[in-house]
Amino acid sequence: MKAGKKDYLYKIICIVTIAAGIAAIVSALILDFSGSKSNIRGPMLLIGMTALIFGIFRLPCKKHRQLINIVFLFPLVFAFTVTVIIPFMLGIFYSLTDWNGIKFTQFLGLKNYIDMFSSMDYVYSFVITVIFTVCNMLLVNLLAFMLALLCTSKVRGRNFYRAAYFVPNLIGGIVLGYVWQFIFNKVFIILIPGSLSMLADANLALVAILMVSTWQYAGYIMMIYVTGIQSVPKDILEASNVDGANGFQTLRKIKVPMIANTFTVCIFLTLVNSFKQFDLNFAITNGAPSRILNGKAIQATEFLALNIYKTAISKNEYALGQTKGLVFFIILAIISLTQVTIRKKKEVEL
Amino acid sequence: MIKWKKIVAIAIAAVMTLSLTACGSNTSSSDNTADNTASGTEVSDSSAESTAAESSTESGGGEIRLVNGKIEIDEQLKTYAEKYEEKTGVKVNIESLGGGVDISGTLKGYLAAGNMPDMYVFGGEGDYNTWKDYMADLSDQPWVSDTDVAYKTSDGKVVGFPYAVEGYGITYNADILEKAGVDPASLTNINAYKEAFEKIDSMKSVLGITAVCSVAAESGQMYWSTGNHIFGSYLAQGLDRSDTTYIDMLKKGETDTDRMTQFADFLELLFQYADKNTLISGTYDDQLALWAQGKTAFITQGNWIDPSLPDYNVSFDSGIAPLAIMEEDTDGILADAPSWWAVYNEGGNKQLCYDFMNSLASTEEGAECLVTDCGMISPFASTMVEPTTPLAVSLMGWVKAGKTYSWQWSKMPEGIALNATGVIFESFAKGDIDKEQFVTMMGTAVSDYAK
Repeated sequence: MKAGKKDYLYKIICIVTIAAGIAAIVSALILDFSGSKSNIRGPMLLIGMTALIFGIFRLPCKKHRQLINIVFLFPLVFAFTVTVIIPFMLGIFYSLTDWNGIKFTQFLGLKNYIDMFSSMDYVYSFVITVIFTVCNMLLVNLLAFMLALLCTSKVRGRNFYRAAYFVPNLIGGIVLGYVWQFIFNKVFIILIPGSLSMLADANLALVAILMVSTWQYAGYIMMIYVTGIQSVPKDILEASNVDGANGFQTLRKIKVPMIANTFTVCIFLTLVNSFKQFDLNFAITNGAPSRILNGKAIQATEFLALNIYKTAISKNEYALGQTKGLVFFIILAIISLTQVTIRKKKEVEL
Repeated sequence: MIKWKKIVAIAIAAVMTLSLTACGSNTSSSDNTADNTASGTEVSDSSAESTAAESSTESGGGEIRLVNGKIEIDEQLKTYAEKYEEKTGVKVNIESLGGGVDISGTLKGYLAAGNMPDMYVFGGEGDYNTWKDYMADLSDQPWVSDTDVAYKTSDGKVVGFPYAVEGYGITYNADILEKAGVDPASLTNINAYKEAFEKIDSMKSVLGITAVCSVAAESGQMYWSTGNHIFGSYLAQGLDRSDTTYIDMLKKGETDTDRMTQFADFLELLFQYADKNTLISGTYDDQLALWAQGKTAFITQGNWIDPSLPDYNVSFDSGIAPLAIMEEDTDGILADAPSWWAVYNEGGNKQLCYDFMNSLASTEEGAECLVTDCGMISPFASTMVEPTTPLAVSLMGWVKAGKTYSWQWSKMPEGIALNATGVIFESFAKGDIDKEQFVTMMGTAVSDYAK
């Protein structure tokens, strides 16, 4: 009976600690939001949180285990909420207003969304980004797979090739962009006398960005293919060899099916990355050159990410930029979720 | 044993939460310097001296912070700030943003974080509209009567401190012009330019040049040269400094077809005699190198290229000629303050900021800092220090003679050159569209953008 009383007292102390902690946190937050400059609100918040966590931790109850789990999850959940969830919610809200980065004066509803889809530059950016994404995905994967085959074959110096193809990926996109801009503007016009810079022609400029992007990214994807190909069991390859399969047959009937999963990963990785292309686009062309469409001049290589950036930063229309960013997010989310679904299906089959 | 584990677990959990909350709650602190460097921008802030800052507050001098938008004069301003601290005991922290950093965006971040500088740079009407609620009224400052280029709002209030005057037109290589027998003073209308261009073009091999003009009209990185600067002549050339006819029309989404046609005539002439590769795909460096190496006679840039000239070992003399787009004589170049400093109206050190501005505007050391060290033109009439670099001297001549037109282009809707008009200039330069199309497309682009 005495022990029971002690437990009871102990529980009360814990509950009091928790209550005091909550009170401290709430008053600290109230102080903060009311604009008070008092210096105690920081320490108060800290002490409150410590008291709260300590109280929960020591609280004897049936669900002690779950409570502990929550306490340990708290730092992660807190960080995620503060850095992702809250800004995301605010972003959705701002996209419905005329926010300029500092404040908003009115609530616009869906006007930003309507404006966005009815402006030609955005629709054009959308189309050109899709074209770029598809081309880039095909090129990168094709090249990367061929390089991977080369680097897993018995060719002399394959480790050197492997490193060499990977190096472009280690250089930052902005640096690469300016280097290649120089090459397109200065070197190519000397190599092909009388020609004008590729970056001055609307279609060739897109090809130029594709070239650089493929060159930069193929080495990285190659590494993933290399690991895939290396994981193909040797015994199967030997068995096929004994059965008299030639190299092409081995590739088509054994290697490719065995690394189907790698293909899914690589295709979606390039898909998402090409869609998000910004740094090369920014450094090589920054949207130039011009293209005449329906009697209006527009920038021919302004991809979605760059379009969003320019809308928010140079036009100072943060709300519209936020709206475009949100649509951008939804598209990327759809792509990524598709990938997850496909992979799950594959895993079940395996 | 188990008890120890428990204690360790608690300690870890506590430390994790503590470290998180410590990040979140520390916004009231007045120690700005540590936060600035964390912002990820190219801040050349003097955060290393933060300990010195603390000691100076003890001496009662106070401390102010200035966000400067011209990275080129960062060193010079810091040197001046040191001298100023010795004299007055007030520490001025210069924080320079530049090299492609989005200044307005960075400032928005500072404002949201409660970390606004006491003084900050802003660059025209767009910025003013964004920041007008955070600017102190400077109308009663002593330097206001000493300058023509302070930032005045539509109701006549002064909110921007000018720290420089910049000017542009068509900058020429005086040696080449002299050899070709062209008098730069005669370049005051489109026909004079036509004759001069033709004459120089016919003597290219004699003069050792590859083209007459160095112009860059690519829309991705040179939009500001065409869409802002050159287009500025359409808005202001030949007009009184207070005449806002064409900029007012543009803000309403209208353009004057006659004037635009005249402007297009001049543009066509300029593009026709420009180096083709630089015109359609050149960067600023390409454009500058071409002219500075003596391969062209003209360049469409202003006095800001002065500091770059020693890099090319430029030995020739140079000057600025008017962007005379019309048939009538317009004898003057476009000169104005490129940006201004505003005082944060909710900052606690407003008086210290006013004092610092006054010292820059009215003292000998201030003038030396702006003119001699930074290589700029002082916007203040009372300044006696003379510039030494060639284009600054030329600009000074125009300013002294009162032959300047204002930079109405800085009142255009934000981002119009990058997002709407720059591409039209590029298309025209490439020959994709003709003069009539240029005029109509400029008209529709402006009306679409201004809406």
